[in-house]
Amino acid sequence: MSTTDTVQPRYVNRELSWLEFNARVLHQALRTDVPLLERLKFLCIVTSNFDEFFMVRVASVKRQIKNGDFAQCPSGIAPSTLLDQIITRTRELVEQKYRCLIDDVLPGLAAAGLVLRRPDEYASAQASFITKLFQEEIFPVLTPVRATEGQEVPYVTNLRLHAAFIVEPQRDANLISEDGEQATGKFLAIVQIPSSLDRIIFLPDEAGRVSFTLLEDVIVQHAAALFPGYRVVSHCIFRVTRDADMGVDEERDEDFVEAMEQVLAYREFSEPVRLSVSRGAGELRKILARVIGIDESEVFDKGEPLDTGALMGLTSLPGLDDLKYPRWPHYESPDVDPDESIWDSIRKRDILFHHPYESFDPVIRLLQEAASDSSVLAIKMTLYRTSGDSPVVRALEKAAEAGKQVTVLVEIKARFDEERNISWAERLERAGVIVIFGIARLKVHGKALLIVRREQHGVRRYVHLGTGNYNDKTARLYTDFGLLTASPDIAYEAGLFFNAITGYSAIPALNKLVMAPVGLKTRLLQLIDRETRRSSSDMPGRIDAKLNSLADPDVIEALYRASQAGVRVRLTIRGICMLVPGVNGLSENITVVSIVDRYLEHARVIYVHNGGAPELYASSADWMPRNLERRVELMFPIEDADARARVVAMLQLSFADTTNAHRMQPDGSYLPPSDTRTSKAIRSQEALQTIARERTRSTDVTNQKVFEVRRKAPRG
Amino acid sequence: MSDSARSEIAAVIDIGSTAIRLVVAQLGETGEWERLDRAARPVPLGRDVFMSGSLSRESMQQAITILTGFRELLHGWQVPDNAVRVIATSAIRESRNRDTFLDRVLVRTGLKVEIIEGIEENHLTFLAVQHAVAPMKARFSRANSMIIEVGGGTTEIMLLKRGKMVAAHSLRIGTVRMEQEVRPMWSSGDQIEEYMRENIRVSQELLNSELPLGRIKYFVAVGGDARHVAHAVGVKEEEHYWSISRKDFDRYLDELQDRTVDEIVRVNNVTYNEAEGLVPALTVYRLFLEETTADELIVPDVSIREGVLMRFALGSEWAVERQFYGQVVASADNLARRYQYDEAHSRHVTDLALSIFDQLQDEHAMDRHSRMLLEVAGILHDIGTYIRASGHHKHGQYIVQNSEIFGISRDDLRIISNVIRYHRKALPNSSHVAFVALRREQRMQVLKLASLLRIADALDRGHAQRIRSVRTEIVGGDVILHCDYSGDISIERYGFDSKANMFEEVFGLNAIIS
Repeated sequence: MSTTDTVQPRYVNRELSWLEFNARVLHQALRTDVPLLERLKFLCIVTSNFDEFFMVRVASVKRQIKNGDFAQCPSGIAPSTLLDQIITRTRELVEQKYRCLIDDVLPGLAAAGLVLRRPDEYASAQASFITKLFQEEIFPVLTPVRATEGQEVPYVTNLRLHAAFIVEPQRDANLISEDGEQATGKFLAIVQIPSSLDRIIFLPDEAGRVSFTLLEDVIVQHAAALFPGYRVVSHCIFRVTRDADMGVDEERDEDFVEAMEQVLAYREFSEPVRLSVSRGAGELRKILARVIGIDESEVFDKGEPLDTGALMGLTSLPGLDDLKYPRWPHYESPDVDPDESIWDSIRKRDILFHHPYESFDPVIRLLQEAASDSSVLAIKMTLYRTSGDSPVVRALEKAAEAGKQVTVLVEIKARFDEERNISWAERLERAGVIVIFGIARLKVHGKALLIVRREQHGVRRYVHLGTGNYNDKTARLYTDFGLLTASPDIAYEAGLFFNAITGYSAIPALNKLVMAPVGLKTRLLQLIDRETRRSSSDMPGRIDAKLNSLADPDVIEALYRASQAGVRVRLTIRGICMLVPGVNGLSENITVVSIVDRYLEHARVIYVHNGGAPELYASSADWMPRNLERRVELMFPIEDADARARVVAMLQLSFADTTNAHRMQPDGSYLPPSDTRTSKAIRSQEALQTIARERTRSTDVTNQKVFEVRRKAPRG
Repeated sequence: MSDSARSEIAAVIDIGSTAIRLVVAQLGETGEWERLDRAARPVPLGRDVFMSGSLSRESMQQAITILTGFRELLHGWQVPDNAVRVIATSAIRESRNRDTFLDRVLVRTGLKVEIIEGIEENHLTFLAVQHAVAPMKARFSRANSMIIEVGGGTTEIMLLKRGKMVAAHSLRIGTVRMEQEVRPMWSSGDQIEEYMRENIRVSQELLNSELPLGRIKYFVAVGGDARHVAHAVGVKEEEHYWSISRKDFDRYLDELQDRTVDEIVRVNNVTYNEAEGLVPALTVYRLFLEETTADELIVPDVSIREGVLMRFALGSEWAVERQFYGQVVASADNLARRYQYDEAHSRHVTDLALSIFDQLQDEHAMDRHSRMLLEVAGILHDIGTYIRASGHHKHGQYIVQNSEIFGISRDDLRIISNVIRYHRKALPNSSHVAFVALRREQRMQVLKLASLLRIADALDRGHAQRIRSVRTEIVGGDVILHCDYSGDISIERYGFDSKANMFEEVFGLNAIIS
């Protein structure tokens, strides 16, 4: 990880930083204190992360090499050097991943009754089951293709699993080739593992045990059926990763979990970036590299199964709860009193939700209530990545049909989403919703909801602002903050924000709220610089922030300046961090931690001490040029004292975490957590789950220990 | 207004020279408002009109698109159609094809556009400003102040002496209007300033004659450009206005003058539209500010739109006028003073006329607005003598018709000037073009008011205020004017009959002095 330069680099390269992030995810899989199926899940996530990384980032690096090999990253590394480092580190991580899968996880699962069987391990009943399955269902859909000598094979589609065979004619077979001559000699055949069939095939087994095998193993076992008259000389399984289109959305972390379900079929036949081949492929390795058109240095040897992500399906099998994390309920926020109208609750004081420790249901209920409340005049919201039958969409439909003015801003990715998402957007339109399909050249990433209601004393507006999407599924897996408020200032500015993104108005000047790309970066720099200016030896400045990525050089420089002025800067950054902490004279007052645990850390907040008048903001934006300059984002203040205290507590816990916090070193590497489960250990996510539980407890009647009895006082 | 919710929602759309702006507000009964929503989109209407005289097809189309969007926005607030006011100022007002535009807007959006005159812009802005700087009211009443708004087509200026309106003007100086001439000089901020200084000199001299600018202590700058500076370097004093020190203002403008428009967009974080007009507008403010002794600029957080909202909230015309009734009278007083009128006589005649007006309310059935017109007419009825005593009623008509009086619309001016015309000598007939051009109800107004004025004027024929007050009594077909007098009122008696002839014709009653 460290360079051999004598001069300490000022920035960590973005790609290398990302690799360390994936290493942290892998670390979770390696931990023995994590339940087995969760470890498997993490392994799958590591795989899909790599897929995306190669498809987008590594492809980009390769293109940079082709275009002159100029260093583009602020870290100053030339793309060719970078590519070498990426490949080296990736090999290390892939090796660790497979060792873990094959030496730890699969055996562990087998011991727990979930067994992966290779063809040579089938019991006889299983073997005949498989043979029948192959003949009836698999064989009919296989299409082996002969690879012609000297020609590349573009029909190997992106990320799909394939089997490769070298076959030669059997001695006694009588084979005529196309030109009428006796066919001799070997040739290469490629068979795509059909994606229409399940990759995991469950075998009949005795009760209490689940056995499964893999589709590709079955195909390889019966390969002879594909080449009558030929003999299979060697075989392997392989996968090609190709360059994805330039217009692809890079926000991979949003799809952290959805990644399993998505098949990213962008440019199916674009430039290959990576070739993964199963071990023991022998000469096939070289042959495939040649026909695919990739350099041998970019060939990765993987254990089996390749494309580990397919195993994710195992995690949803019933009855394996002891192999998973203990269930953590999503608590109902105690600030939402079920006996009171939600509107009254919000008016009384701001309500802060901390998902997924607290349930997202109140927000959905708010929408549903707004949809059926006759005093509600209008609903406006941003919908970034939601699914067709989400309760959110249904509530909006209902509201429009009830005559309210509903305006929805929908972010649709080019091409890919058109099939999946556009149908529900059209449904909304037919119901009377004003649907805005994004803004030219800018992605709308800010998350806001505005409800206008006519009440006795006039019109009132209710606003929900958040760091996460209006997606009930991700709300159970990502940590996020959401704020419900009826503050007139914030509501007014939320209105201005919507006027701008729905096209009624030019971009407004805002005070309370901050918008990117017109002011968020400026404000951020202002906050940091003000802390720098105010910092003194008696009262040093303090900045605590939580984000998913830090990659903007201007912001990094501002933080360096802050550190040099004595400001204590603590950052908890889940993913990429290009800032180098703890370097004397540059950043000795900056500490960076990264927390990887069962929930995906996703919230974004910044806290500044401001000489005793602290300010706290939450935001939809990470600190990357992409967010700050090329997207529409929203940053909002959290002013309610209780809400603030809760967010600050979360920040404190992040920095005090000893079980899941990796600590970034000056050379860009991360020190893993000490992994102790002593009584002093602090696991921030668990502590936050406990806090959420305790908050509901304090209003719970069953917690009483003594009855309040009505009677005459006893006589002594 | 309905009897339902205490407060209701109203909206104002303002079609200006550089943009179309919208405000949605919740209104209280006594004119307070709470801003609920706001939107604005640029469209170069002023540029079209000030350059070529008419609106281009593209601009009209753009405007209609924006208005359609606003309509949708209003629909979300469920603002009833009758609570939406659409106004248009100088750009539309001066365009040759404005009627086509108005018609097209009506057809395509259902919105009815009201074109307001320059002087009415003053009126509405004043309403809003007064509300915004209410905390400073006491201070304003002790010193002189100037309210100035530099727009795309015009600059509205109001001068107040110890809180009382002394002059109100709409000058044809505007950022868009000047832009065509100023554009080639853009590189040098000093040159622009010099050029504008020359242009403004005449106006400054006019204003100076009404109130010495050097004695102005409070400088109230209204408008988006002023608000921009306030946001940047001002201090929010109270809920509705900022204060900018003169030094900070000068420094800010100096910085701007050194930048190109593109730089301003980037550095000062404004749109291109706003950046173009910023330096010219601020330069005009500066040129006027320099003439005063004000050491700070007061920038209220309001515009003409809030004035329209307030007018709508207050409902009846009279309630609105009560707000600035005193200003109207003061403005008329000041105009009269310029023409060296006999203040004692005019004031007395006015008082008498108003007294008779009030007492004969049942006979004439005219409203408070008409009463105000009568008052103004009374104050100004003799100013024509400045030109010549003979025919001074006609001279007075001409002067008033072509003057600017705060709070008096063009229509009202027509009425007042006619009333002055007929305060003596001949009665109206079909050859009097100015009279004939009035609508029927306006003619009735003139006839009634003029007859009252004539009588009142007759009661002070001697210009000595000998008849102190009058009590009317209706007996049969006569109105008896019981006069409380001192001294010899034979002069007054003498000419009375001839002056009372109009009264008889109009009211069918004989007026008799007793």
